[in-house]
Amino acid sequence: MLDISKLLEEIKQTPFDKVEIVSPWCGRVSFADIKEEDPVAGPSGNWLEVPGTLLANVEREHNPKPVRAPEKGRIEIIHNELEGQFIEAGTPLLTLKHFLTKQEVIQIILKQALHLFNAPERAKYYFVPEVDVKIRAAGHRSVRIANGMDLFIMSRMKREAILPYSGPEGLIYSVYFSHNENVGAGEPLIGVCPEELMPIVEDVVARVQAEWEEQE
Amino acid sequence: MEKHKVLIANRGEIAMRITRACQKLGLDFVCVYTAEDSHSRHVHLARELGGGLYRVSSYHDANELMAVADASFATAVHPGYGFFAEDFRFARRVTQRERGLIFIGPSWRVIRELGDKINTKRLARSLGVPTVPGSDKPIYDEMEAEHVAQSLYDFQLSSGISQPTIMVKASAGGGGMGIEEVQDIGMFRSVYRRIRNYALRNFKDEGVLIEQRIRDFNHLEVQIVSDRSGKNPVHFGTRNCSIQSTGHQKRVEVAPGFAPAEINYSFDAAGVLAEITEHSLALARKVRYDNVGTWEWIVTRDGRPFLMEVNTRIQVENGVSGIIAGIREQEGVDIIAEQIRVGLGEPLGYTQADVSLSGVGIEYRIIAEDPAAGFAPWVGRIEKFAWKQESWLEMYTQVPVNEPYDIPTEFDPNLALGIVWGKDMEEAKMRGVAFLDSLVLEGADSSGNPLKSNISFLRAKTADILKF
Amino acid sequence: MIDVEKKLHRLNDRLAYIKDIFAGKQNEAVRMLQVRLDDFQARVAEMSAQERLSAISAMEELFTFMEQKLDEQLSPMDKVRIVRHPQRICLRDILENVYDNYTEIGGQDDKSIDPSMLIARAYITRRRGKALHNQPVMVIGQETGHGDEFRNGGSVKPWGNAKALQYMKVAEIENIPVHTFVFTPGSYPIEDYPGAAQQIARNLYEMAGLKVPIVAVFSEGGSGGAEAIGLADRRLMLSHGYYSVISPEGAAAIEGRLRDGTRAAPELIERCALQLKMTAQDNLRHGLIDQVVEEPPLGAKPYHYEFFQSLRNELMRATDEVVLTTRSFALLRGAISQPHRPKSLENYNAENFVTRWSLSTKARDRLVVLRQKKFRNLSNGRWIDPRTSFDLMLTKIQATSTDLLNLFRHDLWGRRKKQLGYAVEEMDAGARMLLHRIFNPFFSFTRELFGTKPRAKIAEELTTLSSWEEDGSKNGTWSYISSKAKEDRAVTCPNAAKYGCLDLWAPDLFGEFAGVCTHCGYHFPMGYKWFMYNVFDPGSIREFNQEIEATNPLNWDGFDAKLEQAKQKTGLKSGCITFEASINNTRMCVALLAASFRGGSVGVAEGEKFLSAIERAQRKRLPVLAYVHGTAGIRIQEGTNGVIQMPRCTIGVRRYIDAGGLYLVVYDTNSYAGPVASFLGCSPYQFAIRSTNLGFAGRGVIKETTGLDIPPDYHDAEKALSRGHIQGIWDRRDIRANLQQALVTMGGRNLYYK
Repeated sequence: MLDISKLLEEIKQTPFDKVEIVSPWCGRVSFADIKEEDPVAGPSGNWLEVPGTLLANVEREHNPKPVRAPEKGRIEIIHNELEGQFIEAGTPLLTLKHFLTKQEVIQIILKQALHLFNAPERAKYYFVPEVDVKIRAAGHRSVRIANGMDLFIMSRMKREAILPYSGPEGLIYSVYFSHNENVGAGEPLIGVCPEELMPIVEDVVARVQAEWEEQE
Repeated sequence: MEKHKVLIANRGEIAMRITRACQKLGLDFVCVYTAEDSHSRHVHLARELGGGLYRVSSYHDANELMAVADASFATAVHPGYGFFAEDFRFARRVTQRERGLIFIGPSWRVIRELGDKINTKRLARSLGVPTVPGSDKPIYDEMEAEHVAQSLYDFQLSSGISQPTIMVKASAGGGGMGIEEVQDIGMFRSVYRRIRNYALRNFKDEGVLIEQRIRDFNHLEVQIVSDRSGKNPVHFGTRNCSIQSTGHQKRVEVAPGFAPAEINYSFDAAGVLAEITEHSLALARKVRYDNVGTWEWIVTRDGRPFLMEVNTRIQVENGVSGIIAGIREQEGVDIIAEQIRVGLGEPLGYTQADVSLSGVGIEYRIIAEDPAAGFAPWVGRIEKFAWKQESWLEMYTQVPVNEPYDIPTEFDPNLALGIVWGKDMEEAKMRGVAFLDSLVLEGADSSGNPLKSNISFLRAKTADILKF
Repeated sequence: MIDVEKKLHRLNDRLAYIKDIFAGKQNEAVRMLQVRLDDFQARVAEMSAQERLSAISAMEELFTFMEQKLDEQLSPMDKVRIVRHPQRICLRDILENVYDNYTEIGGQDDKSIDPSMLIARAYITRRRGKALHNQPVMVIGQETGHGDEFRNGGSVKPWGNAKALQYMKVAEIENIPVHTFVFTPGSYPIEDYPGAAQQIARNLYEMAGLKVPIVAVFSEGGSGGAEAIGLADRRLMLSHGYYSVISPEGAAAIEGRLRDGTRAAPELIERCALQLKMTAQDNLRHGLIDQVVEEPPLGAKPYHYEFFQSLRNELMRATDEVVLTTRSFALLRGAISQPHRPKSLENYNAENFVTRWSLSTKARDRLVVLRQKKFRNLSNGRWIDPRTSFDLMLTKIQATSTDLLNLFRHDLWGRRKKQLGYAVEEMDAGARMLLHRIFNPFFSFTRELFGTKPRAKIAEELTTLSSWEEDGSKNGTWSYISSKAKEDRAVTCPNAAKYGCLDLWAPDLFGEFAGVCTHCGYHFPMGYKWFMYNVFDPGSIREFNQEIEATNPLNWDGFDAKLEQAKQKTGLKSGCITFEASINNTRMCVALLAASFRGGSVGVAEGEKFLSAIERAQRKRLPVLAYVHGTAGIRIQEGTNGVIQMPRCTIGVRRYIDAGGLYLVVYDTNSYAGPVASFLGCSPYQFAIRSTNLGFAGRGVIKETTGLDIPPDYHDAEKALSRGHIQGIWDRRDIRANLQQALVTMGGRNLYYK
């Protein structure tokens, strides 16, 4: 049985995430008008149509490409020494302190409760088209999966293979991978919620909603 | 030579070969790598030799490469093979941007002209170079299509082919889309209409190509080098690349293309080799080809060659031609170095008469894959990789030999290229087997299963090389 | 005492109403009324009954007098407040008081598919001698219901307009006139199945050919919502109403460049209301309505029974006039259609004069022709055309001779030729079949067709270079290259985050790729010249009517300068370019709306050019392509003159399609509002270039009027396709091929190449 109180207490010890913002590409850096301790916002709006706070532009090939805050938080470190420099892809630009939201805390706890289906090898993963269509239409929690069902396309070495799901029947409650990114062997791809786990999941959601206070 | 700095826009063993060639020519160079590749030996080599080194987000992003070129003051770009090697737009951008660079490869117009298969076929025909029988233009008219199909059918029957086959494909298609074979001529019209409608829906072009489908053939190549004048191409002989995986991927390449001295062929093999090199050179002169390139041919069992396409890049297997070739007194040719030299504008400096070919070269592509399971790639960690050094062996690999190596999942699965040389075919085969026997390649995947490789496949195939 | 109380209460009401109308503006008369009323109320207790009565009637007289005085001071914005006041008469008041009997058929109260659209079958009883005649009509109009929330202020949803259309068709079948009543601030701007624009366009298209008399009465005529039921043979307007291209608040938001629902200053709104020339008197002066129906001072309220009587009379008369003009008694028709009625009709009392409202078949056809003529002439002359009358006469003569030529070529000779052709084809097919039957057992079909050839000949055909006529194979090069392709820079695709598109090099993107992301297919906007010079046969473009110039018919403040600026910037004289051009030698007539000229907005000049292009195509039997490089809607600075282009151009389209043409619409970049809700949206063949947005109102307006947040892809072409608004999505690089395909597969019978 899941000890929600204990998990919550543990998370409360460090109720934030340090998010390192790295430049996704090469280019010349100019930081936006920001300073340390400034609050920043992630994408917002009903459809996340409002972009996050502008942190820097990394200009490449006369194209001032913006780097924006992926999440809400506070700026902890700015590598101001990079201002005006040409940097390589992957160079750290700044660090954000991001306080965990209720949703994130729920996700962390649920990772302990849900049935996790892990990546068998390092590869890029995609849902098979039929499932992808369903997810796009109604969200992943509308998709019920069962043992042996063809669920993923595993893509590596320029080859693709179908990966069937194995595990208990249930709804896809969480998705842990994103489009076009490699997942290491053994890392979870999805969290599945079988019928009998539903009460526990609901309990976690209720407890976190009630007990977690989001910090700015 | 003017002092140049070459951006090596590639990875793995080819990046290493280009790096070494630059070093040999006394040129500055700059390498790139991605996070996935940070343990690749091409990165170590760049550090070792003191060249520039930049991490980029992707080898596929021309913008990253151009940004690095500018930041490092590079004056030329070598694309290697794959990635941007045959992308005429990349070559065009490199040369036409405000801060222009030299593209080490053919000029973009040549790449574009020969990148279009229909265009290549027509160029070839205009010179009398043999091509696969059939149409050399998109056909839009049903009567004309039926006429060509019937002719092809009769032609094959009269050539003694018992089961004539016609290939119908959308001329605007590619990558195996919109292709069907017809064996029963009575079915042609319905297949033609199906392909035509498919082409119209998908490519907005009703044009259809109709060709003979050739089944039983050997895959040959002619290695060409020419300088920027485009007037004096030379060849470095032929290669036979017929030993392939089930997915038609090359696994063993042999130079020269046939061995008439040691094997009996049902046709005049020496004559065929001479014919395809002459035709290749003629076409190179016609388009004023101005860098290295490979002319791909198929040769049927009855000894008829057909030009398939031209690869306007350095190829993986260039080394196997290099190992049998010589220029004047010098034995062996570094074709990559030659490519860089002429790419930067130096004249070739020798003629065909100065080129000699001797012995037999075999290149093995060593890959972690399972030949028994349709050559499925194997993913995991290499723990041990070793072989015996020999004077007759060249080994190209990005896999480190003194530390474990996780095979990146992003790229082609080639681990190493082993090229052996023998004075004749027998010696080359013997040395080939000896090399494969000396190879140690061990490792395990995440569940502890041992590494799978194609070494035994390569060994078994060695017995059959150049046989037809 | 009770009587006085009641009267006092009424007076207080009247004062409150006056205050509402003048919206807190300091007005001497209002203040005086207030003082007098307060004074009276303070003293009323001390008065004797007699005193009270006389004082109160004095007060009443004062109010009536002052109301008349105030009425003369009404500003356009005050009139807007009058029509929006809950005490304003509504359609149900009219049904009660104007008609003699009625049944609501479009739903009841809030139980209706759209309670803001009211439909009723009603009749008016007239007497001739001792005989009573019940003359049935279909009454259609927006219902505001004195502020009932569920009526949504008369803002009609698409399905409400669809309901209106359904019952217009019923009226057509039953051969009874339609009376429409426009009480709407504008259409409810949502995209649904159908979308607002889509449905209004349908209504306009159908009304353009509806074969029964339509009489419209405008009280509040807000833009597209008004047009949905406003295309009528006689258009009456209540003297205190407004009829405008946009609400004054909307105009102020645009003028003040306000975003995100910031409210405009009242002065700006007031000024816009004035500039829009939206009152009944303005619209009458501009000829956009036929007649004003006078209301009592400060506007009609439900207890103004005399007003209803006069409205009834005017409605009957208007309907009679429409009916009579379609009759073949030339004398009577002439008399009534005169702008100044002869004395005998001036005091025409409709009650004692019975005209049958059902029409004969011929009269119904004439009715439609007359309606179409009427709208063709609306807003005439409100553009600049520097050509002399002699030039124009020449053009007209040319047009007439083309007509004659075409009559011969297509109708007389063309039909014969076609019939002959069919006969030959049939004979040919028959003969082949016969031959086939005879020879089939002995020869395969291919042998029969080709015979046998020597092997060498075959080999030569199959292995040597064939000849090849180069046609249209452009090898990735375009005749016209955008100037954006000259910059050495990379460009990020807006979908990069979603699909991982790599940055594209501008010379590739705007050159060879025609502005299309090679990874995800996103279409970057391109200038209209790209379309003009890459789609049609080279050198085939012949522009016409380029002299026609957009102008400032309402003398809108500062708009002359803005127009001049647009003309300078674009080198165009209006936002519409009309030309003939060919695709694979098939000629077509093209009307292009250029987004670079005032956002591609449509005013009188643009409407006129569009109509001329349609008419030219009809004469010459050419297919028509409306290429919408972008349109922001009707040009608000031209007021109702602009909005009238909606019915006006739709009628042109209707005539053209009825004559058997092919009307194609292709949307590119962004297309919104009036034009989409009329002459563009009514085409049976509408296509959009990928990544286009189209619809009725933009995000801001939707939020403002409905409070709804809309998803980012709400207006995109795929959504429009799912809604059935458009018939397909085209890749920019395939426009030419698709047009060619459209010419072959679509359109009516009367095209020169068919």
